[in-house]
Amino acid sequence: MIVVRAPLRISFVGGGTDLPDFYHRRPGRVISTAIDKFVYVVVNRTPMIDKVTARYAITESVEKLEDLKHTRIKAALTHHGIEKGIEISSFASMPAKTGLGSSSSFSVALIKALNAFQGKKIDAAEAAEAASHLEIHLVGEPIGKQDQYAASFGGFNVIQFNPDESVDVAPVLIDYKKKLLFQDSLLLFYTGLTRAASSVLTEQKANIDSKFQTLSEMADSVPEFADRVSVGDIRGLGAMLHQGWLKKKSLASNVSNSTIDDLYSAGINSGALGGKILGAGGGGCVLFICPNDKKDAIRESVQKVASEKDLNEFREIPIKFVQSGTEVLYNGDQAQFPLA
Amino acid sequence: MKEFIQNFSEKVQTSLKTLPAEEIAKALNILQAAYERDGRIYIFGNGGSMALATHWVADFNKTIFDSNLEKHSRRFQAIRLPSTESEITAWANDIGYDMIFAGPLKNYIQDSDVVIAISSSGNSTNVVKAVELAKEYKVPVIGISGFSSDNKLNQLSDAKIFIPAEKGDYFLVEGVHGIILHMMIRYFKDYFDHLVEREP
Repeated sequence: MIVVRAPLRISFVGGGTDLPDFYHRRPGRVISTAIDKFVYVVVNRTPMIDKVTARYAITESVEKLEDLKHTRIKAALTHHGIEKGIEISSFASMPAKTGLGSSSSFSVALIKALNAFQGKKIDAAEAAEAASHLEIHLVGEPIGKQDQYAASFGGFNVIQFNPDESVDVAPVLIDYKKKLLFQDSLLLFYTGLTRAASSVLTEQKANIDSKFQTLSEMADSVPEFADRVSVGDIRGLGAMLHQGWLKKKSLASNVSNSTIDDLYSAGINSGALGGKILGAGGGGCVLFICPNDKKDAIRESVQKVASEKDLNEFREIPIKFVQSGTEVLYNGDQAQFPLA
Repeated sequence: MKEFIQNFSEKVQTSLKTLPAEEIAKALNILQAAYERDGRIYIFGNGGSMALATHWVADFNKTIFDSNLEKHSRRFQAIRLPSTESEITAWANDIGYDMIFAGPLKNYIQDSDVVIAISSSGNSTNVVKAVELAKEYKVPVIGISGFSSDNKLNQLSDAKIFIPAEKGDYFLVEGVHGIILHMMIRYFKDYFDHLVEREP
């Protein structure tokens, strides 16, 4: 059995510039951090069972790989030439479609696990690239590749997407005091509204030409955001996040909606310095940057909006930044480590 | 005598003023990530570097946590390799001196681990062999070296902690290596003490 763990992430600015229609014209850039919420992928060799079994929200067990419904597992197994004798399970500390990048965290963990299953070791860049290839080319999802790199590398990074498809990951090197200062200034709420990133991104992709200038400004603001993180300028970061959110909202009609706007306004009116929706938009999580002494007031006012809107699953998600990326936590695969 | 002391002191000060801060920060991130996934840290080197490695392990595993021993549910797992004298002599005598680090490293190494290699020249064959093994396993390598930046250890490392010096000035390089290793200890001691203060 092989156990792989991948972190989820929160992204601050630059989302959308990781789409090829943008970064083929000029480099895209995002800044994000891995957080202490994880997706686990477990892979087990079943030499006596000639089937492919996938356990996620449902359990599928098929004799022919082509009959598997889970598109990404099917594509990944096909790509790796594995047709039987394997079971794959996933576990997560959060529901899917929260805007925390969980589907790409799953893909990176899956890629790392299947490589380990075949006795291959791959580094963070290889895992991120392979997961991006799986999602974007093999499955054909209209998504970018910031989440695959964020999950694979872990930590707090500026990620740059170059026109030649190469990706540079530059860690934001901050000490624990600055890291905790920033972490403590964040409030994260799960709205209970879910959406698939692809529905928002499809419209966003179609708009790239007309929004090119806005996207360029978003990519260009990333280094400034990193500098403000380095000096602990919470107020400045709040203002930048707010500007970034206004820009992001303008990219596609369904990035925001009235519920999200009401939640956001409630937070700002109670003292938040800035905020945004995490993920492509349309639902997921709302993130605020705020002074410590405003946290309770913000909690109260957004909860009030959530109750009025009947958001039954609305809740605060406490977060910590983590340095770890996608890791093989355990490899006890019997084919590679026979017991006798 | 005073002049000699003055000269040596100035060399050390010049070196300390130009420490590779970004690479040391990367090393701290690598160690933080290993802690989060409960991975192990293997550290090794020859002669004085082995003494530095041994000293560091004691501080890293114990001193970092000893203000609040009961409050940390997890501590670092740093291991000096080889961990016994018998292994050093057994590998050297039976297999070859080149294998004294790579040999024992292969007994332990897993995907979640980290390697710290110390070599003033950066070209000690036995150190380089162990680092090549670590690279094969794709585990992160913190390389602590000196003299010339084109040394093999520095080229192979993910965090390249390199101290420029005249070739053969082990006195300066090993001394500064000792300071950097203690800086890592101090950083994590402050960090873990701070975490307890935040959430006692």
